[in-house]
Amino acid sequence: MTRSRSRPIRSVLVLLTLLAAGVVAAPMDVLGQETPRRGGVLLAVIGSDAPSLDPHQESTFANLQMVAPLYSTLLQLDPYSYPKVIGDVASEWKVSGDGLTYTFKIRPGIKFHDGSPLTAVDVKATYDKIVAPPEGVRSVRKIHYAAIERVDAPDAGTVVFKLKHPSASLLDNLASPWNVIYPKKYLEKDPNYFTKNVMGSGPFKLKNYTRGSTFEGVRNPDYFVKDRPYLDGYKFFISTETSVRAAAIRSGRAYIEFRDLPLSEVEAIKKQLGDKVVVQETPMIGQFGIAMQNTVKPFTDIRVRKALTLGFDRYTAGKVLYQLTGLRDVGGLMRPGTEWAIPPAELEKIPGFWRDADKSRAEAKRLLAEAGYPNGFKTVMKNRNVKLPYQDLAVYVIQEWRKIGVEVENRPLETATWFADGRDTGNFELYLQPTVEFMDEPDQFLNRYTTGASANYGRFSDPVLDDLFSRQTRTLDPAERKKLVIELQKRVLEQAYYMPGLWWTRRVVHLSKVKNYVAPPSHYTNQKLQDVWLSED
Amino acid sequence: MRTYVLKRVLLIVPTLLGAAALVFVIMRVIPGDVALLILGGDSGQIDQRQLTAMRHNLGLDQSLLVQFGTWLWGIVRLDFGNSLWTGQPVIQELLIRLPLSLQLALFATIVSVIIAIPLGMLAAVRQDTWVDYAVRVFSIGGLAMPGFWVGILCILGLVIFFGWGPPLEFTPPWVDPWANFQMMVWPVVTVGYRFSAVTTRMTRSTVLEVLREDYIRTAWAKGLRERAVVIRHALKNAMLPVITLIGTEFAFLIGGLVVTETVFTLNGIGRFVVDAVAHRDYPVVQALVFLIAFGFVVVNLLVDLTYAWFDPRIRYR
Repeated sequence: MTRSRSRPIRSVLVLLTLLAAGVVAAPMDVLGQETPRRGGVLLAVIGSDAPSLDPHQESTFANLQMVAPLYSTLLQLDPYSYPKVIGDVASEWKVSGDGLTYTFKIRPGIKFHDGSPLTAVDVKATYDKIVAPPEGVRSVRKIHYAAIERVDAPDAGTVVFKLKHPSASLLDNLASPWNVIYPKKYLEKDPNYFTKNVMGSGPFKLKNYTRGSTFEGVRNPDYFVKDRPYLDGYKFFISTETSVRAAAIRSGRAYIEFRDLPLSEVEAIKKQLGDKVVVQETPMIGQFGIAMQNTVKPFTDIRVRKALTLGFDRYTAGKVLYQLTGLRDVGGLMRPGTEWAIPPAELEKIPGFWRDADKSRAEAKRLLAEAGYPNGFKTVMKNRNVKLPYQDLAVYVIQEWRKIGVEVENRPLETATWFADGRDTGNFELYLQPTVEFMDEPDQFLNRYTTGASANYGRFSDPVLDDLFSRQTRTLDPAERKKLVIELQKRVLEQAYYMPGLWWTRRVVHLSKVKNYVAPPSHYTNQKLQDVWLSED
Repeated sequence: MRTYVLKRVLLIVPTLLGAAALVFVIMRVIPGDVALLILGGDSGQIDQRQLTAMRHNLGLDQSLLVQFGTWLWGIVRLDFGNSLWTGQPVIQELLIRLPLSLQLALFATIVSVIIAIPLGMLAAVRQDTWVDYAVRVFSIGGLAMPGFWVGILCILGLVIFFGWGPPLEFTPPWVDPWANFQMMVWPVVTVGYRFSAVTTRMTRSTVLEVLREDYIRTAWAKGLRERAVVIRHALKNAMLPVITLIGTEFAFLIGGLVVTETVFTLNGIGRFVVDAVAHRDYPVVQALVFLIAFGFVVVNLLVDLTYAWFDPRIRYR
């Protein structure tokens, strides 16, 4: 069975959402109504520098947005039809009837930037590093590939993935933009080589990188996709200051900000530049919520956990915080509007998601009194010292909790301390937790609610959840999987192991001369820039 | 004089050793482990065996004394080690940023001196007149307005009123002086204004003090012109504290302009230090703090030596 995987329902939903959100200009280009122009350098601003250059080892947009144009992946998400999976270096693939063998054909003639050929051997070496990294090398998403038993390269043009058990998410996860293909010979020399160096086969080659300042790529003339890329190159300017990035676009010093800008900045840019600027707003595959340390009092008590989630009026918060942060949509553990989301009518029956905020607060106070805290209690929330959206969300949630008598101190920490003295050691009572993935895939989002998962920061353990997760990841029946996924989410929310906050939206602002860039619902995908062109310099 | 200079130069050694030991200990006392950061990142996926291997690779499993000794021995050979994050030699990373920071510090100091000394002197000579009040408003404004706020106002003003913004990338003056000017003029003005505010106030108060001295009264009594009294007799004698201030501020500007560098997207030493601290990049932080301390010591020495030229009464014995 050879197939280009597509999910019609999701595609239609997403397309409708994008259209409703006003994504107009770019799809017209996609339909070919304008003739692409070759040349020019795309100038972009980015809010952070990459911790390292190896996407296998990182999980920040700052890494991927800068290096994605330099690499190829086995599969990829269709830039114009999320979440359809299409090939990148794989030209075709088939899945065995028992779902245990995936065979990929590799396009011939692909070259790395040093001129050496990209073959199945390189794909195997890359996935061996991701699935079973050598000592001293990290692979932050290896858990998503737990079903893989081994990867074989029987010949230069064929890669075979053998699975221990069927996996509903494997193809989606093989389209991960993080899984860039490295040449085997460099990995053999040093598996950490790519943290500081680049050797890819993507549409652009690395030209220059000045840490903390700029990152530049130049056109790869040997790129395997004919007539691509259109651009001569791209250049990122790194600035952590939001107003500076916005000013750079207003003044034309930069043409695009791929991640997000606050609504106030977007409005100011639109007011000044008029039709010279395009704003693409999409829902975002990311949610910010609160992890509660389930192993310490008072959060060992379900009544206390429920009280906190009941004390947060998400519907009002979405209206207020959207202006400041882009946090807007109320949902469970999978993005609202997708096939995996708990339907709104069912969600609104779960404590914390009731429409009546007064009723929720009254119930929260009753539960606290029953748990022995009639006058509330004091606690601390460890948070990242980044304003957007961490601090804004924290300030809002804390004033909400004050209404039920719970006094929370927001403790902003520098990122390293936030990791080391919070998340990684479990040394927290409350912890503001972001959950951002590259696509709406239950394995990516729900693994963190299982026993012992490294991203289970609240350290809870529920055999029911473990069983539901294990069953949903193995079932190849979409209807059955959907049922299990929704059941799992309801279990987490009803037990209040974790408290979802709001789902994010994304506003990509670019000058109208930037053509053929469609903002997907993730700032990790569609970053290769091979189809992007400039109508003028 | 020679003995004094020699003594001062030798004193640099224990001062720097103290600074080195202090930063070395502080970096290891604050929470956060570079190995944990490198392995854990944003994802939180930690493997204890990998953590141990990473600590070994970074030399963090050795005793603190051995680590300190190795580092000091490196300094003696002018080898500050490699950045734990970029893998590049620290000195190479430093050289990328040093010209920018030096240019900014130097130009801001020049702007500050050009503004502050005449204004401070004028305010003192015309004490309690509208001139004095205007100068005081100007200098208090410079002290009260945070540098980042002035910087952002500056950028927004340019963008809103002229649709123009400063370049986002530093070009050395010897490569393209015009591009360099376009980028550096705004941070230089922003930093120079704050710096001049401090210096203006210092100049005003010291000149006022000197103007009340007997020898100034004598100068007036001799019938000297105002210009001669103020510049030759008052200003020169009032300059000692001002020079000290300018010297220490200049040294501070080299590594202390984190906010200004952030606002104007300048890839300078200040941002480099902060990034390195955030990444627990010990070799970079240690090297930078050491070099900044070295800069302070050298500037202080130069300031002390300048005293003799301004005030011939001072003789170093």
